[in-house]
Amino acid sequence: MASALRTAILGHLRVPVVANGSKLLTPLWTTSLRSMSSHDDHLEKTQVIDRILDIVKSFPKVDPSKVTPEVHFQKDLGLDSLDNVEIIMAIEEEFKLEIPDKEADKIDSCALAIEYVYNHPMAS
Amino acid sequence: MAFAMRVKVPPNSATLQEARHQTFDFFRTACRSIPSIMDIYNLYDVVTPAQLRSTIAAEIRKNAHITNPKVIDMLLFKGMEELSNITEHAKQRHHIIGQYVVGNHGLVQDVATKDENISNFLKNFYKTNYF
Repeated sequence: MASALRTAILGHLRVPVVANGSKLLTPLWTTSLRSMSSHDDHLEKTQVIDRILDIVKSFPKVDPSKVTPEVHFQKDLGLDSLDNVEIIMAIEEEFKLEIPDKEADKIDSCALAIEYVYNHPMAS
Repeated sequence: MAFAMRVKVPPNSATLQEARHQTFDFFRTACRSIPSIMDIYNLYDVVTPAQLRSTIAAEIRKNAHITNPKVIDMLLFKGMEELSNITEHAKQRHHIIGQYVVGNHGLVQDVATKDENISNFLKNFYKTNYF
């Protein structure tokens, strides 16, 4: 939403352009800091980790004290494959994604889930 | 119309592994239609999507001991039929609440105001003969 605001403001800004043919004196820090960029809509890794851990902890069959970012659903938490699918569906609902079956079959642990959601471009 | 959208692969599972895969596909389809079900029957104040997912998983788990792929196919067909009926609004709200929200042990602690002073004896009496 902030990026839409930025683009709307940019559409109305008028910046005076001075023709400077000889040498462009741009300070170094202006090129490394992209304050008007809309490419940072990506989720933060800590946010993703927190939300996924919340989902797993609120699952009724899971003991919340055992949940860590590296826990394996079937081996450490003692769930079965249907519970695995259920957790993946809960993650799909939380991040508004649609995970294809092939990928969903591979997600077996919290670490894999966090990695998948973090690398997904449409995660919100 | 809604049923055509969700036609599954014809029920000819050759192995138990394939039948397992079909079961998980059915579960995913059911979970993905939960938001529209909650919208159709207005279940927002009664139940959360997570509870509905758990209920669907419990129903599937009731038949988890079956090993014959043909029987599993038949059960999945019945499950798909039930899901289609629900999503095309062929059922009504009290069907959904009675069958999937409030089980035999009263999953929903949705006590009406007139029941607030009910005693424990009466609660147990209404629940079962043997307490």
